[in-house]
Amino acid sequence: MTGKPISKKRLSLDARYSILGAMLIAPTIIVFSAVIVYPLVSAIYLSVFSIYTPTMEGEWAGLDNYSRLLASGEFWRSLLNNIVWTAGTLTLQMVFGVLVALMLHQNVVFRSLARSLVLFPYFLSAVVAVLVWRWLFNDLYGVLSHMLMWAGLIDMPVDWLGSMPNAMISLIFVGAWKYFPFVVIAVLARLQSIPDELYEAATIDGAGRLARFTDITLPQLKDVLIVIVLLRTIWDFKEFDLIYLLTGGGPIISTQTLPLMVYKEAFALNQMGGASAVAVIMMLIMLIFMTFYLRKARD
Amino acid sequence: MVAQRRNLWRRIAFNVFVWAIVVLIAFPLIWMILTSLKPQSELFLIPPTFLPGEITFEHYRRLLVETPFLVYLRNSAILAVGTTLVVIVIATLGAHSLVRFSYPGREHLARLVLFTYLLPSVVLIIPLYFLMISIGLSNTLTSLIIAYTTFALPYALWLLRSFMAAIPDDLEAAAMVDGATRMRAFFDVILPQAVPGIISTALFTSILAWNEYLYALVLVNSDEVRPLTTGVMNMLVTSFNIEWSMLMAASVMMSVPLIIVFVFLQRFLTRGFGAGAVKG
Repeated sequence: MTGKPISKKRLSLDARYSILGAMLIAPTIIVFSAVIVYPLVSAIYLSVFSIYTPTMEGEWAGLDNYSRLLASGEFWRSLLNNIVWTAGTLTLQMVFGVLVALMLHQNVVFRSLARSLVLFPYFLSAVVAVLVWRWLFNDLYGVLSHMLMWAGLIDMPVDWLGSMPNAMISLIFVGAWKYFPFVVIAVLARLQSIPDELYEAATIDGAGRLARFTDITLPQLKDVLIVIVLLRTIWDFKEFDLIYLLTGGGPIISTQTLPLMVYKEAFALNQMGGASAVAVIMMLIMLIFMTFYLRKARD
Repeated sequence: MVAQRRNLWRRIAFNVFVWAIVVLIAFPLIWMILTSLKPQSELFLIPPTFLPGEITFEHYRRLLVETPFLVYLRNSAILAVGTTLVVIVIATLGAHSLVRFSYPGREHLARLVLFTYLLPSVVLIIPLYFLMISIGLSNTLTSLIIAYTTFALPYALWLLRSFMAAIPDDLEAAAMVDGATRMRAFFDVILPQAVPGIISTALFTSILAWNEYLYALVLVNSDEVRPLTTGVMNMLVTSFNIEWSMLMAASVMMSVPLIIVFVFLQRFLTRGFGAGAVKG
């Protein structure tokens, strides 16, 4: 085990492996640079121009797009809608998600079928989810209004999507239905990894059902719940499909969030520069949550 | 005895309660299937009937024969398969590199992958739209496959990384003691071990592509290249009077492949859809 040649050869082998490793990751880096890094940088670049979409011709606008945006009521309204939607749907997702996960963690007949049925909405295309809900919400023949009328809760069909605050409430509710299974998946996985010994020991010590929940289950879930809240905040904040398809941001702009505003500016109003400015501001807001999440995900 | 019986009743009550909630959650999907099987005239009964008075497959037949549904279906299939093939090859090599090699910047790269996994499509879409026009790919399926890699590649990389990290280091070392080079060891030892992970990652990735809406909305605008998501939505928007039973039939058909994959992936569901929140 002595002698320089061996260690020298080893060193060069390590170096060769590093190069091989870099070559294997190279395709990823190339694709990332082309379809993610380049567009990200150019979104910032485009946001200081005034560009008309059909001709793609633009002129330098400096920070005009930003100052116009910050002075417009529509931007602030969209931001407010974005916060209301995110906070509302996230709260429902968390509450339903944790409750359903706790229930499906117990012994229930046909448990795996029950789990599959509950998880399925998360799997569905937003298009399918929206079609189904728009049919349920239908103002004349929708079964939702009729069931509530049959139960005696309302006297006449409700305009679920066409008026406020109904539209925002419906949206938050459909969002919760579609995305709460993610909370169920993550919480169930964590529940299954809590060692039974903890509960056995607590029972021997005389802890009741409630005490076992607050003293063992909740503290064990704390970390995963924080990660879920951060992830879902990021995902709900940037949600486009569900909102665009369900209400289109309407009535007028009552449920228009920032992603919808980006789309509208760019492809309906043909203002690429203005749209990019909205996108950049949205990205900056999301960066706060992303940073927290990335820090949390590391440990 | 009494305590035991009370326990039994409590169990039954709990089961009924849980299943009532499960049925409530699944109700929209049950309603979708029921609506798709009802004759058109039955939809407009007030109050609505629950079970179809008469079961008909007419809407499915008309969907396949009288609408461009099959063209959309073909496009969606091409997109799902194409995106998945491109992404899986790149991601398998990338994940292997991130898991088994050491070089400067590796940790940063891994975090960059997670970061890109969270990026909003709506921020990338404007530059991508310009890019596709300038390289002459606008309104093609290829442009969508390229756009889909923006979310599919980070996702597949992240998932494969967790699958491949679970393969013991000893296997590769043993193969190399036997004289294999690192690439030989990768193909002969690591890859076969990674097959279940690769297959489930591929299926999850293809679902993401199958369900995508925003890029398809912006980057293509003719029926020959529209996938199911924008195509079926277009049927809703452009029809003079909305045929809900046909739209529900379309929804069912769009979901059938998902159900098949879903059943097939049971074992990996937590890993695949909990990605980011559940440790692999």
